[in-house]
Amino acid sequence: MWLPVMGLVIGIILGLLTEIRIPEEYSNYLSIAVLAAFDTLFGGIRAYLQNIYDEKVFVSGFFFNIMLAASLAFLGVHLGVDLYLAAVFAFGVRLFQNIAVIRRILLTKWTTNKEKIEKS
Amino acid sequence: MKKIKVKVKGKNVILSLVFLVLGFMIAFSYHLTQIENQNAPRNLSGNQYEKTLALRNQLIAQEETNRRLQKELTQKQEMVQKNEKSLAKEAQVFLNVAEDAEKYRMFLGKMKVKGKGVKITLSDGAYDPKEDNVNNYLVHEQHVFKVVNELYISGAAAVAINGQRLTSRSYIVCNGPVITVDGVPHPAPFIITAIGEPDVLSSSLNLSGGVKDQLVNDNLVFTLERENEIVLNPILGS
Repeated sequence: MWLPVMGLVIGIILGLLTEIRIPEEYSNYLSIAVLAAFDTLFGGIRAYLQNIYDEKVFVSGFFFNIMLAASLAFLGVHLGVDLYLAAVFAFGVRLFQNIAVIRRILLTKWTTNKEKIEKS
Repeated sequence: MKKIKVKVKGKNVILSLVFLVLGFMIAFSYHLTQIENQNAPRNLSGNQYEKTLALRNQLIAQEETNRRLQKELTQKQEMVQKNEKSLAKEAQVFLNVAEDAEKYRMFLGKMKVKGKGVKITLSDGAYDPKEDNVNNYLVHEQHVFKVVNELYISGAAAVAINGQRLTSRSYIVCNGPVITVDGVPHPAPFIITAIGEPDVLSSSLNLSGGVKDQLVNDNLVFTLERENEIVLNPILGS
């Protein structure tokens, strides 16, 4: 379990230490990608809690969503349509839904655990 | 057992890769946003913008005024300099005039004068029983005239008889036993003081056949002294 945590820490350190500057117009893509990553992450957690977690789906969804979101934003910029807003909207809604589901599952688990403890 | 471990490890590796990418992206985005916030000028609201604009305009106006005033100041300073120069010139002129006035006043006897010169004493000759006429050994006004004229001719700046300064309008009159200089009677002996170059004055008086010899011929006692400092008082009532 400590390996992914270490990966996260290393990633954060790398991100903070890199002095690479990307042009300002590309920061949109990055934010979309971050949003997509969050969405996938919470989706994965939800799937895990619902016992329908599949690693392949998670990993492929993670990278694919990031790239899709970025390319959608790219396309939007070149078409003159603010398509990244669509991505933000879609990912935002899904993020909230996923978090709500996780919350409910956790609540249910917590309640059943409590009942179990009280019963036993 | 081994397979499961490996499987778990592989799972963890993929997961950590995912987390690495996630952490990197989050940190990078955070970092970037912070840099942008630092670099980008703070966004101004319309109100603030207008205020800034007004202040800027005010500043520009102020600077323009400053510039104009600075120019004016420079011009004024130049004028002051010019005036000062002309004043200095005038002061020089005035100084010259004042010096001249001083000099002329000295010549006119309106102030006390001091300088090197000679002192000549003319006394009556000793009583001589052989001489019938007492006038033959008394000092007369023409003797005084001679001495005074000779002194003036040889360049005396100021002449006084018994301490009374002579002017250009002085008159010397023989009045019985005394000589009247400008109405003031003076008895013998007459001390004639003159300011001027002592050498020149004395040598001109001592010329052979000159004033001294003539006076001595008239039986007068003539003494001449050089003085380093002669002080002549101003003419009274001038």
